[in-house]
Amino acid sequence: MAKLTCEGRTIREINAEIRRLLKDGEAVTVSSPGARHNLGVALLESGDVLFDGSVGYYCAGLIDGVKVRIKGSAGWGLAESMLSGEVIVEGNAGNSAGAAIRGGALVVQGDSGARTGVSMKNGLIIVTGSCGYMSGFMGQGGKMIICGDAAEAFGDSMYETICFVGGEIADLGNDAIVAESTDEDKQFLDASLTRYLPASVCANLPDGGDFKKVVSDRKLWNFKKSEWKTWEQAL
Amino acid sequence: MCGIAGYYDKSSGSTGLIGCTVLDMLRALGCRGPDSAGVALYHAPADGDFVLQIKLGEAGHSQNPTENVIAKVSALSKPKDVSTTGGYLRLTIDGTLDPGRVAAAVESTGSEVEVVSMGRRLEIVKQVGSPDRLEETFRISEFKGSHSIGHTRMSTESKVDLSHSQPFWAHGCPDVAIVHNGHITNYHKLRRQYEQHGTRFYTENDSEIIGVYVAQGLSRGLSLEEVLHAALADWDGSFSCLVSTADAMGFVKDSFAHKPLLFGETDGFAVVATEEVALRAVFGSELKVREAGAREVKVWRN
Repeated sequence: MAKLTCEGRTIREINAEIRRLLKDGEAVTVSSPGARHNLGVALLESGDVLFDGSVGYYCAGLIDGVKVRIKGSAGWGLAESMLSGEVIVEGNAGNSAGAAIRGGALVVQGDSGARTGVSMKNGLIIVTGSCGYMSGFMGQGGKMIICGDAAEAFGDSMYETICFVGGEIADLGNDAIVAESTDEDKQFLDASLTRYLPASVCANLPDGGDFKKVVSDRKLWNFKKSEWKTWEQAL
Repeated sequence: MCGIAGYYDKSSGSTGLIGCTVLDMLRALGCRGPDSAGVALYHAPADGDFVLQIKLGEAGHSQNPTENVIAKVSALSKPKDVSTTGGYLRLTIDGTLDPGRVAAAVESTGSEVEVVSMGRRLEIVKQVGSPDRLEETFRISEFKGSHSIGHTRMSTESKVDLSHSQPFWAHGCPDVAIVHNGHITNYHKLRRQYEQHGTRFYTENDSEIIGVYVAQGLSRGLSLEEVLHAALADWDGSFSCLVSTADAMGFVKDSFAHKPLLFGETDGFAVVATEEVALRAVFGSELKVREAGAREVKVWRN
């Protein structure tokens, strides 16, 4: 276990040092992150990185394979464009958590802000608490599990992202519908929650079968003049 | 960009070093706005008198009109505790006077003279440059009080000078101040409406309209919560906005959550900032914080 403090170092120096230590096969603990931006961006090595405190914007963006744990909160754009790997934040996340991810798993153990999972292409996002306005917007693939409530315009203009919500949905976005869950969905939910969340948290969550499944109604996929009303409302 | 910060002491005391708290938050947010820095600070009421912070002119532009201002104000009531710091004239005056008349008397002495703040508890100081420079000029770290809001500015559409800096006093409405991060995109339309009813605007900064809007809402008898909820229907664009009054502090965030704003709260205080870096710099790692949601309004009041 290698330790690294952020104090007295620039972000470039911190990230270069994390990379070097990961290459040496070390698990890295980063102390005093102080909610600074761009920590742990573009880590392409495998291994474990622990941020011992809150991080700022774009933490763990563009990572490929590394497992990141944040013992605090995260700012905007957490794990943005992650290719693969795992990002767990023990506190809350700001807006656009998991934006445009192509793989991997992002777990927010608190609440996440607006536009969670915006334009995600693949991968998995789990939010133990609630998510903010327009989460899932334009999601193209992958799965998003919100254990708590979803704010307004949930799942707006999605392609093929599949969402599950354990609590209340304030309001569905354009072209989003609640679909029937399958046995496969329930198995997926139970397996994902058990894998990524502590048993004590899982015990208080709704049963896999009680989550609402939200998908695209596909009305906005192709423009049809005869459905002008739908488009007028969406735009 | 721009950075905003606010601190509210829930203990009803006015002896906390709030100036130091807000200064340190602004220092942490300084990279979001290098153009200007300012704070609105609320101290214990001083015998019901109004405290005025008066801009005498943009640096190097006009001769010192201190005596003219004092002569004009004396015609209404004798000013007390007169001092000058960093291009500002500070004085206290009978708090039963009509604030509009006091401001009009002061501002009749020159086109560059402006009442930057007036209130029984409120004082605003702001200037071009960094939070460190603000501290050098005004020693705000020594300021004690109950609550404070602050701003570091990155100008996007209007000029960089003292008057265009934030916080803005809600002209004519004692003790009300605002800071804003974002753009009010229907500013010109709203401004025309207000101007048709005789409201004077001091700057070309869209954020100034927020002070005008809040002042008019409060003067119509709305609570701060009601004003901030009403703003969601009346303002277009992006805004994370903090508003403070003599006894309250609140925020409103726009319908699309375009602009960041985090807050945290304990039994003793509430704190708000654009970025968590400001909260961690001052309050350490334990404080739980959350990003405010779209259309979220919150007000703290003792």
